[in-house]
Amino acid sequence: MINIEIDGQAVAVENGRTVMDAAHEIGKYIPHFCYHKKLSIAASCRMCLVQVEKAPKPLPACATPVVEGMKVHTHSEYAVKAQQGVMEFLLINHPLDCPICDQGGECMLQDVAMGYGGVGTRFTEAKHQVLGKPLGALISAEEMSRCIHCTRCVRFGQEVAGVMELGMANRGEFSAIMTFVQSSVDSELSGNMIDLCPVGALTSKPFRYTARSWELSRRKSVSPHDSLGSNLTVQVKNGRVARVTPLENEAVNECWISDRDRFSYEGLNSAERLTKPMLKQDGKWIEVEWQAALEYVANALRQIGNGAGAEHIGALATGTSTAEELYLLQKLVRGLGSENVDFRLRQADFSADGKRAGAPWLGMEVAEIGKADRLLLVGSFLRKDHPLLAHRVRDAVKKGGQLNVVHSADDDLLVDVANKAIVAPSDLRAVLTQILAALAESKQAMLSNDVQAAVAGVVPSAEARSIAGSLASGSNVAVLLGNFAAQHPEAAQLQRLAQEIAALTSAKFGFLGESANSVGGYLVNAVPGVGGLNAAAMLDQPRKAYLLLNVEAELDTANSQQAVAAMKAADLVVAMSAYKHGAVDYADVLLPIAPFTETSGTFVSTEGRVQSFKGAVKPLGEARPAWKVLRVLGNLLDVAGFDYDSSEAVRADALPENVAPALNNKLDGVAVSATANVAAGLQRVPDVPIYATDSIVRRAPSLQQTRDAATPTVAMNAAELAKLGAGCGDSVKVSQGQGSATLVAKADDTLPAGVVRVAAGHPATAALGAMFGTISVERA
Amino acid sequence: MIQRFFKTFLLLELLKGMALTGRHLFERKITVQYPDERTPQSFRFRGLHAQRRYANGEERCIACKLCEAVCPALAIKIEVAQRADGSRRTTQYDIDLTKCIFCGFCEESCPVDAIVETRVFDYHGENRGDLYYTKEMLLAVGDKHEAQIAKDRAADAKYR
Repeated sequence: MINIEIDGQAVAVENGRTVMDAAHEIGKYIPHFCYHKKLSIAASCRMCLVQVEKAPKPLPACATPVVEGMKVHTHSEYAVKAQQGVMEFLLINHPLDCPICDQGGECMLQDVAMGYGGVGTRFTEAKHQVLGKPLGALISAEEMSRCIHCTRCVRFGQEVAGVMELGMANRGEFSAIMTFVQSSVDSELSGNMIDLCPVGALTSKPFRYTARSWELSRRKSVSPHDSLGSNLTVQVKNGRVARVTPLENEAVNECWISDRDRFSYEGLNSAERLTKPMLKQDGKWIEVEWQAALEYVANALRQIGNGAGAEHIGALATGTSTAEELYLLQKLVRGLGSENVDFRLRQADFSADGKRAGAPWLGMEVAEIGKADRLLLVGSFLRKDHPLLAHRVRDAVKKGGQLNVVHSADDDLLVDVANKAIVAPSDLRAVLTQILAALAESKQAMLSNDVQAAVAGVVPSAEARSIAGSLASGSNVAVLLGNFAAQHPEAAQLQRLAQEIAALTSAKFGFLGESANSVGGYLVNAVPGVGGLNAAAMLDQPRKAYLLLNVEAELDTANSQQAVAAMKAADLVVAMSAYKHGAVDYADVLLPIAPFTETSGTFVSTEGRVQSFKGAVKPLGEARPAWKVLRVLGNLLDVAGFDYDSSEAVRADALPENVAPALNNKLDGVAVSATANVAAGLQRVPDVPIYATDSIVRRAPSLQQTRDAATPTVAMNAAELAKLGAGCGDSVKVSQGQGSATLVAKADDTLPAGVVRVAAGHPATAALGAMFGTISVERA
Repeated sequence: MIQRFFKTFLLLELLKGMALTGRHLFERKITVQYPDERTPQSFRFRGLHAQRRYANGEERCIACKLCEAVCPALAIKIEVAQRADGSRRTTQYDIDLTKCIFCGFCEESCPVDAIVETRVFDYHGENRGDLYYTKEMLLAVGDKHEAQIAKDRAADAKYR
């Protein structure tokens, strides 16, 4: 420890830390712009100049390492003069357009100029002008004259987002922040640059000119879009969500959020919002009162329960529903005498049900991903599915970790991948078996019986050997199963193999998690019980009545073709949704429910963190929180135990005080098949595009204009494409079962042979069938 | 006692009073024959609000909302939107003159001298709603009195 003195106050800090760190330690503020605790030190703004005794000139606090006995003055006349001088320089070229600047009122430059600047300027020459730049649909860089060249955005790109999309070109007075020629900023974390920018040079495009910072009230919330549960500050003006910014939580999202979390709020104010309960009568939708709608639903459910039997009622929910909603949904269905309830709509393999030791989860804390020295990532479109977990993985690799990837697509993870095995979906199991065989061979370990048979006689490929070698050499290993693996038709076997690999390498092992409540759904038991049908079976064996919670059947399910057919054949489909969507074709009742900003609820994140939040704004129109709707429905149907007065009361019943003991990834009794899969024809590799994951995101116009939201293509490797006689850019017809879609073909040589990458969850591909499976492609 | 007796006896107080009355009888009258005559006003007079335009007809207001924020009576309501040419403009700028206390803070906070208080004080409304001034009304006031407003701003300029 080094002892120094700041403004007469003694402070001890570790060797190698800076004066800025020491000042923060004792809660002393030193003005700064380019310094940011999460980014590297640039020391380019010079605002943090302080006086250090015996130093010949003022020193930048952010870049001055502490030295024993150092005496620092942050407010001495000398330091203040230096700071005022710097401020005067910074303001030379800064335009005086604060009144129309979106940053006005929350601007670091304004604050610091008020606190540490002088009174006037001696500069009378013309200010220098920088032209605005188009950076895409999310970030506005119209006013680049405001830039003070702190390079925070550049360093963020390099160090956190993993891709340098902005850079500082030219020198001196001509230096300017810009993209590479004609490119836009497409990173899925780009919105954080808006927060980082200390001035109004980079501002939010959707938010532009809609509100001033002092008009907004800030409310805490939790992101519903991925399994991380990023903490959000929802900023509200006139009862509408005006924007969303991160709420710092070091253990979860640090101080970042993904663009999906940041800009999805636009979907909350969408014109497609459902504001009144609606009933379909004689093929026409009519608006009705809540009482009438709920009584209709109750009567219809009662009739089906008494007539065909309660087992003909099925309930489907998405994992973006709150734990309270999922709990009440399963309680309602079970109260009616049915066990058919599920929230894992995109999954295909349910053979692990009943064999799990607990709720599948990440198997570690989120922060531990960044500390792992060896990682095995199985089946994950990591950057798009979990933008911030991808950052943690990059962090781990930056610290010297090795990332190994087993997947069916080779998307750029913006990080060095040590070893990878990119194979067709049907071969994922074989690759994991080979890795396991290689590990077992090198460790001379005995495997448990149900996998031993599969491993026997397997000759590991070179890739499998190097992955095994990499994992075996680590001391802090993490094995992570992505959404692709969870939705895979052999998900249970993949999990079993990953579990075995983890056991041999003493690794932590778990699922990245598909949705905000993919852990919570298990904890509240929103999964079928004994004799119940799971999500796939409920659609495979059509039910007479479906209760849909937040579900868009054509987009949120593993097999959209089958789902829509099942809905259309049902006698009663009750769609509880915030939006008027495709359900108008197949539903009988539409009940408007409140999205996450308008209801209180709880998400259990993939690391088992239970995060409750309150509504930030009032529900729009006559929409009501789903837990209230389900509660009243329970009362109308005379189901016992539906007398809740608050979502907290529901939560007390739904979730245990401490969820940790209920989390367990262990899987027993799933035999791993010893025979290799034989693929017939082309196999589909489905990804759920980042801006197609849930109903809110799908209705956020700015996100839909980004490159990530482009209409899905049919990607194949060039050789496969040539076999069809098609080239890149031709339109091709992909078909599965009855349905087909005509899309643009794209050559992608990173894909293995025999696969076609066609996104799911997108309206353009909703006519297709199962996410995984064979697919045929022909020239259109 | 004697003094008082003489004062009362000789009606001294009455004469004093009559003298004063008499003096005023012949002095210049200060009564202003409003509305034919008007009292002089300072160039800082704070009367009816107006929205100004630039010489080219472009409205000055840039919707920075500083006046809305500073208004102690919460009399100002502004809505903003980006105009087709990309500039920041108000879509709504209302002043409720029944709330306004004519403190002049709005005028003082305005970075572009868009909202000003004119010398007009004798406006009226027959219903309460008549005193709810919208953007169009304020701009009309500004257009009508622009010459006077500009003169007053120029006179005040050296003190600002």
